[in-house]
Amino acid sequence: VRCQVCPPQRALQASAVLRRVAEEQKEPFSSSSQQHFDSHPADHQPEQDPQGPRPSYTGQGGQESEDYESEEQLQHRILTAALEFVPEHGWTAEAIAEGAKTLGLSAAAAGMFHSDGSELVLHFVSQCNTKLTELLEQEQKQVQLGEAEKKPTDQFLRDAVQARLRMLIPYIEKWPQALSILLLPHNIPSSLNLLTTLIDDILFYAGDQSTDFNWYTRRAVLTGIYNTTELVMMQDSSPDFEDTWRFLENRVADAMNMGNAADQVQATGEAVVQGLMGAAVTVSNAETSKGTK
Amino acid sequence: AAAGLCPCRALLSRWVGPLRALCGSLRGLATGPETHFGFQTVTEEERREKIYHVFESVAEKYDVMNDSMSLGIHRVWKDILMHKMNPSPGTLLLDVAGGTGDIAFRFINYVRAARERQLQRKLRHHQNLSWQEIAESYQEDTLNSLGDSQVVVCDINKEMLKVGKQKAAHLGYSEGLSWVVGNAEELPFDDDKFDVYTIAFGIRNVTRMDLALQEAYRVLKPGGRFLCLEFSHVNNPLLSRLYDLYSFQVIPVLGQVIAGDWKSYQYLVESIRRFPPQEEWKAMIEDAGFFKVDYQNLNSGIVAIHSGFKL
Repeated sequence: VRCQVCPPQRALQASAVLRRVAEEQKEPFSSSSQQHFDSHPADHQPEQDPQGPRPSYTGQGGQESEDYESEEQLQHRILTAALEFVPEHGWTAEAIAEGAKTLGLSAAAAGMFHSDGSELVLHFVSQCNTKLTELLEQEQKQVQLGEAEKKPTDQFLRDAVQARLRMLIPYIEKWPQALSILLLPHNIPSSLNLLTTLIDDILFYAGDQSTDFNWYTRRAVLTGIYNTTELVMMQDSSPDFEDTWRFLENRVADAMNMGNAADQVQATGEAVVQGLMGAAVTVSNAETSKGTK
Repeated sequence: AAAGLCPCRALLSRWVGPLRALCGSLRGLATGPETHFGFQTVTEEERREKIYHVFESVAEKYDVMNDSMSLGIHRVWKDILMHKMNPSPGTLLLDVAGGTGDIAFRFINYVRAARERQLQRKLRHHQNLSWQEIAESYQEDTLNSLGDSQVVVCDINKEMLKVGKQKAAHLGYSEGLSWVVGNAEELPFDDDKFDVYTIAFGIRNVTRMDLALQEAYRVLKPGGRFLCLEFSHVNNPLLSRLYDLYSFQVIPVLGQVIAGDWKSYQYLVESIRRFPPQEEWKAMIEDAGFFKVDYQNLNSGIVAIHSGFKL
């Protein structure tokens, strides 16, 4: 009965750990799918879709529900659990093994990941970026609702970069290790992708709507500011990283002035040229008047 | 082309097989379900018996033959398996069909080295403890050089285990090691016990591989890992021809010269050909309930490591 009614899915309900997504909701169909849980799976279809939660077998009421989590979600849970062991073990497979153990899994589950801890770092960076985006989104909503004032650009950028860098504070001891992992050749595509998305998001919420070459210049400048501030933070020992924030302030101010400086240079150049032209005209007039005398 | 190069023995056994099957089916179902033994067709019971005798007779010379047949490369394969496993101290390993203990000894070495690194790291953090505390932690750590890791070597064949125990005594491995007689199709262990289950060059000798996979799933803890190192199918056509040539012409001869047993090594190379290719074996592992099943080819498919997790 079970096999004919259900879509060809793999034996997720026989899985020991992948848990049900909707655990809190005790619905009538859950008892019927419990029966599937106990009987031995007989289908032979290989896995089809590793992304996102999988639909379960249709219960007796003909209801379909998003039942068990996918492997991806379990991996995310393990990595999130592993983060608390990073200050002690660093960004390594050991931290991941400890994380797996807190979830009730064997330490061998860390074998699912690369042995150099890459996935852990990338997961953390991605998590931080998501948190920052949510923060910026909230702030924007407040501005739109009129609850808060719109910040000037330099203030906005400073606050955004500071908020993002503050998320590194709990792991600051081992962050240099994480940076070196992010620079490993096989990680560079992913880490570069995360960085560019981060900068893009910050500038989007800052209200950047340029469609000319400025789009690239702004992002390049902000990436430079972010990276240099991160490095300064690594070796900053002042209370609450005051030196880092001051450094950040100066860099953002420089970036703002860069636009003005370019115009100023052009204006000065024009003035100089005009002065020279005037002097040349005066000299030639003096020459001709001398000649006619 | 390889068929033309096979010795007549293999050809004859190909004819005998179907004839026997015909007689078997005429005799009725009393003989049991049919399966293969190398290129022959036999019943499951016969197959188990024959394989038991094969390993009984080769047990003494098993390691020497491994070295001469694979030119010592089997050691590299087993090292790669251990590196892939990357066990941390405290891991409980079940090595099935582990007979002479190659995987078990490598596991103990690996875990011992990992434990030393762990202890060194702990010492670096212990800079501001009192001398008393340091002495206490040092004592309990040295008594625990394996960090509570353990390996259970399980094999159906007592002769192979005997050779393994002798090797262990000879090489000085004593703690963290147990030797158990057991059938991979019906393991004498409780559910959810082991962190890692390995079977190196043993699964093709198991008559009901699906049962062995189910048992593997049963005895592993949630999150536990299944690792299988086995001969597989070569994808490179040129290499495949050379490999066939080597397998059918050289190996049985080596078997006769070194171990005095042509037939067992004929069985060996035939059983390798009979083993399902990488993708099919991967599908079988997934059917048993394992997740994130993947394989890694070594030497372009001569050997493959399959890995799955009980999630």
